[in-house]
Amino acid sequence: MKVSGVDLLIVGAGPAGLAAAIAAKQSGLSRVRVIEREREAGGVPRHSFHTGYGMRDLHRVMNGPRYAARYISHTLDSGAEISTSTTAIDWVGERTIALTSPRGLEEVTADRIILATGARERGRNARVVAGTRPAGIYTTGSLQQSVYLRHQEIGSRAVIIGAEHVSFSAVMTLAHANVETVAMLTSEAHHQSYFPLHWGTALRYRYSLRTKTELLEILGRDRVSGVRVLTPRGEEVIECDTVVFSADWIPDHELARRGGLQMSDVTKSPIVNHLHETSRAGVYAIGNLLLPIKSADQCALEGSSLLSKNW
Amino acid sequence: MAKRVAPHVRTFDVAIIGAGVVGAAIARELAHFELSILLIDAKSDVGAGTSKANTAILHTGFDMVPGSLESRLVSRGYALLRDYAREVGISFESCGALLVAWNDEELANLSKIQEKAIANGYHETYLVGVDALYAKEPHLGSGALGALAVPGEWIIDPWSTTLAYATQAKSAGAILQLNTRVERISQSAHLHTLHTNQGEFEARYLVNAAGLYSDVIDAEFGFEDFVVTPRRGELMVFDKLARSLVSHILLPVPSSMGKGVLVSPTVFGNVMLGPTAENLSDKRATESSIAGLAFLQEKGRKIMPALLDEEITAIYAGLRAATEHPDFQISLHAPQRYVTVGGIRSTGLTASMAIAEHVRDLLTTSGLDLGQQGDLPAIHIPALGESGVRPYLNDELIAATPSYGEIVCHCERVTRGEIDAAMISPIPPRDQAALGRRTRATLGRCQGFYCHAEVRALLENAGGAL
Ligand SMILES: Cc1cc2nc3c(=O)[nH]c(=O)nc-3n(C[C@H](O)[C@H](O)[C@H](O)COP(=O)(O)OP(=O)(O)OC[C@H]3O[C@@H](n4cnc5c(N)ncnc54)[C@H](O)[C@@H]3O)c2cc1C
Ligand SMILES: Cc1cc2nc3c(=O)[nH]c(=O)nc-3n(C[C@H](O)[C@H](O)[C@H](O)COP(=O)(O)OP(=O)(O)OC[C@H]3O[C@@H](n4cnc5c(N)ncnc54)[C@H](O)[C@@H]3O)c2cc1C
Repeated sequence: MKVSGVDLLIVGAGPAGLAAAIAAKQSGLSRVRVIEREREAGGVPRHSFHTGYGMRDLHRVMNGPRYAARYISHTLDSGAEISTSTTAIDWVGERTIALTSPRGLEEVTADRIILATGARERGRNARVVAGTRPAGIYTTGSLQQSVYLRHQEIGSRAVIIGAEHVSFSAVMTLAHANVETVAMLTSEAHHQSYFPLHWGTALRYRYSLRTKTELLEILGRDRVSGVRVLTPRGEEVIECDTVVFSADWIPDHELARRGGLQMSDVTKSPIVNHLHETSRAGVYAIGNLLLPIKSADQCALEGSSLLSKNW
Repeated sequence: MAKRVAPHVRTFDVAIIGAGVVGAAIARELAHFELSILLIDAKSDVGAGTSKANTAILHTGFDMVPGSLESRLVSRGYALLRDYAREVGISFESCGALLVAWNDEELANLSKIQEKAIANGYHETYLVGVDALYAKEPHLGSGALGALAVPGEWIIDPWSTTLAYATQAKSAGAILQLNTRVERISQSAHLHTLHTNQGEFEARYLVNAAGLYSDVIDAEFGFEDFVVTPRRGELMVFDKLARSLVSHILLPVPSSMGKGVLVSPTVFGNVMLGPTAENLSDKRATESSIAGLAFLQEKGRKIMPALLDEEITAIYAGLRAATEHPDFQISLHAPQRYVTVGGIRSTGLTASMAIAEHVRDLLTTSGLDLGQQGDLPAIHIPALGESGVRPYLNDELIAATPSYGEIVCHCERVTRGEIDAAMISPIPPRDQAALGRRTRATLGRCQGFYCHAEVRALLENAGGAL
């Protein structure tokens, strides 16, 4: 097993982690290393091919992969190291983390560690949805990877669960795959996105937003055949072959919890102070690992401002 | 070793309908002998019926009906499977169970259960006082009064068990015929003809291990010894971060409807809550229900409130093949050269190898000449449990084959090396669920948020479906 040391170890090469790496190099830290478990750095924007990234940090709007590519090249230019296909698996000391990769096991000790492991959408089981277990069930994240990265067959009629920003991203992704969105369901009285975003997508893609509507059950044996829902007027079946569970975020907090960091009961994120320090000295948390969910540019700005605040 | 047959041969010494844990165990047992064997299943994988959806406990049989066939086969099967698991590398953990009493009546019942255990030949139980109980299980909900410890109740990997039996039978020469549904059976003087969606197969002897459909197969012979009622058991699996909450299998004091709701660790490092017990009429009703899930959450909150704060990574339901009889329904119909293995309800995983021995003996009494017994080819099943060293932590393995250091499914830490190995194994997976049973890929907390597309691409490249 390899043993190494750095000044700053960042876990997660999404917008938050990469922005923090760039800022760390600019502030003069010499050995900065970003760990990313995927084959490519970039985080969620890597597979989010629609536009809407970069407003606040790069001051122009672009699609996700472009945005990710920008951050990756800035990071590499800054002299920080990015190790892809590398997973931070556990803590083996106060500020020592064990890694695994095709190059084998490694233990890295760092003066400081930043956790930027992001957040994911809850899937069907985590939301305790009853019914059958057919093919055709996605989260927006898995849908985007299937559509944009793998060009996989999706279906023809989709129902989207949730009506937040990311749900509209699901509509656009489905349209790209020639899948009609037949309904977007939310148990709330309103959608939880900007009105222009909703009106824009609703007009362009012609789906119905069903408020105060609760998903009861998934139907279909091998393939989704529909969803049974409870509306203010009673129960109803909406026929579809695809269901996308959007939003309902949960931080990817495994490493934080394995390290015994103090966690919030409400957000399930590590608890941090105004300097983004966790309960363990020298360990920080940024980006969507800290809920509530933020856009990519906000996460990146959090990453870059961390250094000016602290070090 | 089984007789090798040429690919075009369609006539066998023995045909077994059903490649669940029971049918696969029977095929493996018979594969020791000079017989040609056909193992048939309607599904695209072995163990894709009830055998894939259970609570995965290796039962001692402490609470069986003393003197029953089930009692005998469970306790024999326990010893056989435990040794077999060690031999071929199936993961298991010797965690032991605590039967928790929540009221005075249940508390009083514990000593009766202890006596029953002795009547079943199991002598290791002991009573645990309330303080000792909470010391063993600090996260147990409040209100427990005491427990009966059953140290021999263990947990095991149920998927690898069926897969190991079928793989070994196949390597010994048995023919595994998947995607093949037996639709009708006709007889001539010496042969059964199985009419299937893949044409006809003939066999001198026939074993019915069709689980929920064992009564339907029996009806082909005009037997009406029992009716199978699917008894649904819904289950919830909690995230690995919950694993540290519980150290033993926490059993309720049993009732007449089944073993009741338990909280148990799994060998995969999760925690399981369930099952429910509900008699249905539809033999395909493996969906979960709103009422069932609500019931489990309510029970779980009482047994272990902290568990309910953790994420749920899987929900599924299995159908027990219950009958109107309290015991296994295993019978030889000698004139027909036919053995029925029915009513293998809630202990079939544990009892599987003993059932297989029993069926072998029944076939011999009906005149089947087994021929010489030989050794089966040695096999090794990749260990999926957390108790061993997983590939991603195995530096030597990664040095030799770097793909064992390339994690594809991050939540379950399944590497590309493991997926590649599964794809070229003797019984390769044909869909995502089957790959999950061989590697755990996509079965973790993100439910595919990160790796669904990648895993699907790997499967599609290998010729499988989504
Ligand atoms: C479908 C979808 C559409 C979106 N659309 C937009 C949009 O249009 N505009 C916008 O601004 N925002 C959008 N967002 C939000 C935006 O993508 C996120 O705010 C942003 O990606 C969060 O950045 P992050 O760095 O915190 O986390 P992430 O981007 O999630 O990156 C975290 C990284 O950490 C890695 N990681 C996690 N654990 C480990 C470990 N143990 N070891 C190694 N690596 C690890 C992960 O692989 C991942 O690459 C969208 C999000 C989704 C899901
Ligand atoms: C909720 C639950 C919890 C349980 N917990 C435990 C436990 O903790 N420990 C334990 O030991 N046991 C447990 N069990 C019991 C155990 O799972 C079963 O006893 C066992 O899986 C039965 O195996 P089987 O091979 O008889 O049936 P199955 O696995 O159902 O196999 C029968 C096979 O026959 C095939 N088939 C049927 N008809 C045809 C046909 N016409 N043509 C071709 N193929 C056909 C089916 O496709 C199926 O694959 C549990 C069961 C349930 C439901």
